[in-house]
Amino acid sequence: MEMQESMMGRGREAIDMIVDAGSFQENTVGAQSFDDPDFGPGAVVGTATLDGMTCTMIVSDADAFNEKFPVVYAGIIGMEEGYKMAQAVYASIEADAEKPLAEKRPLVLVVDTPGNGPGKVEEIFGMNKSTAAYQLALAEARLKGHAIIAMVIGRAISGAFLCHGLQADSILSLDANYGTMIHVMPLTSVSRIIKKPLEKLEEISKHSAVFAAGPRFFYSLGGVGALVDNVDGMRPAIIARIQEVQTAKAEGKQDTLGPWGRGALGAERGGRVERPKILALMDREFAAVAEQYAPAR
Amino acid sequence: MSNWKNLQSRSFLESSARDRALGLVDEGTFTELAGPFDRVTSPHLALLGDAVAFDDGIVTGVGRIGKTPVFVISQEGKFIGGSVGEIGGAKMVNTIKLAIDFHDDLVAKYPDLSDAEKPVVVISFETGGVRLHEANAGLLAHAEVMDQLQKARGKVPVIAVIGSKVGAFGGMGFVAAATDAIIMSEFGRLGLTGPEVIEQEMGKEEFDASDRALVYRTTGGRHKYIMGDANFLVEDTIEGFRAKLVDLAPLPVADFEAMRRIGSPEKVEHQLKLVALAAEMQPKDAVDVWAKAGNENAPGLLDVPFAEFVGSVKRLSV
Repeated sequence: MEMQESMMGRGREAIDMIVDAGSFQENTVGAQSFDDPDFGPGAVVGTATLDGMTCTMIVSDADAFNEKFPVVYAGIIGMEEGYKMAQAVYASIEADAEKPLAEKRPLVLVVDTPGNGPGKVEEIFGMNKSTAAYQLALAEARLKGHAIIAMVIGRAISGAFLCHGLQADSILSLDANYGTMIHVMPLTSVSRIIKKPLEKLEEISKHSAVFAAGPRFFYSLGGVGALVDNVDGMRPAIIARIQEVQTAKAEGKQDTLGPWGRGALGAERGGRVERPKILALMDREFAAVAEQYAPAR
Repeated sequence: MSNWKNLQSRSFLESSARDRALGLVDEGTFTELAGPFDRVTSPHLALLGDAVAFDDGIVTGVGRIGKTPVFVISQEGKFIGGSVGEIGGAKMVNTIKLAIDFHDDLVAKYPDLSDAEKPVVVISFETGGVRLHEANAGLLAHAEVMDQLQKARGKVPVIAVIGSKVGAFGGMGFVAAATDAIIMSEFGRLGLTGPEVIEQEMGKEEFDASDRALVYRTTGGRHKYIMGDANFLVEDTIEGFRAKLVDLAPLPVADFEAMRRIGSPEKVEHQLKLVALAAEMQPKDAVDVWAKAGNENAPGLLDVPFAEFVGSVKRLSV
């Protein structure tokens, strides 16, 4: 596998590689405009066309620094950024509220973020609400029929990936030849915290994808739908995925998409085989007692 | 197994996940699903040579409060910090999904179904989020839980109860924030980044993780109640939490929508006012915000007896 120049920190460039040339309008989504340049600068939101379709773009800006909340730099999602991203999603839902399923605009999330804002002010005011608000907005848009595609180009790390990526219908990732990082924590840190020798973890991770780092492991867990091995492949891959997702939604196959669909994919690809057993066990056990919990009539 | 009546006066903080699950619902009504007798253990821990738990550190099941079917998820902090892996995550996800499916079945079957007869979900959090031993699977499970929370909207209220030692942090801090209503005791803690990580990021002068009072001022129940992040603050007993659940369980789901802190464009607008206040104030300590909320005795608020605190504290409004 030949290494390619990393896309890390190049979210804005990625927008241009993906959308129709010159179509990206930053800071406008539907009826909402984001006029204050100092508001959530770490999050880039806007509207573009992709193969002629109007879509919402949500991207992290690794070069931005939030003066008000100095924990926000290098693509970190802070309180303002999380809410700004949520607003872009809600504005997309609102703009297409009356439109039929097939005309609801897709959302494209370009993922390159190392984390959520850690800090005292963030904890005092509740950073957890900001990114949870964004996740709920994405889940709502997805369940209302918008196709949401995440394209991992650099770092998709832990809680930041949960926030910006893992609520999508479908997740694409540049392959490991671009140095793409998808993990909760690097194996070296895992080794230190759970007190297991790195060599042992490296050995086990050859067979088990559940804690290893990298896009290929997430692929086998169903966490990544498909790998893209060239930056020129991003645009066609996203366009194709949007069409597949829209078709699945039109056919009522919502359950094959999103986090739940990734569960099935993880079982199919052999990376998460315990999950379906637990689901089946609980379904069976509850069915046996459900009557006890139904109202007496 | 503990006696239900004896459990009621027990400290919630000191109670195990199973005792909390049993004690929060009506006496004798709890049926555990995927319980320890099923022996569902994590193969990932076994592969690493670590001890496993027959419930993977999470108790899931269904009970009843009055007429309301209550689907319970209860995390055990004593087992690897209540962390969420593939199995525990799947148990959590499916408990919420079962509640939603049961709701839909009941609504279809009983045209006269009352609000009190519709199911609710109660999550007793005690976790720092993802279990590192099976981190990727745990992370993916978190996303599934968030998906189920959105699917439950408008159908099944989801209530967070937070009053256990580990608190609710990491990815589970998002999940807790995304529930409909949050009940805390003053010993509960809620946030995203745990104290040790803030210290590591900001330096000990800025945040000393060993300073327990500082930790509670920043993420503890009293603070979160002032901020509006916790809807209710109750005494540290199982019956204290249970009494609030008894009040909430029969309410129509629309009432829960009003309790939410996030989950709509309007609520995001409101939260942004708080963020603007944070930017303007740049508080050095939570006490600054308590004073801003109009509390004259802000520095002494942690020491005020519980009943007096709940009765007299001024909560932040913007």
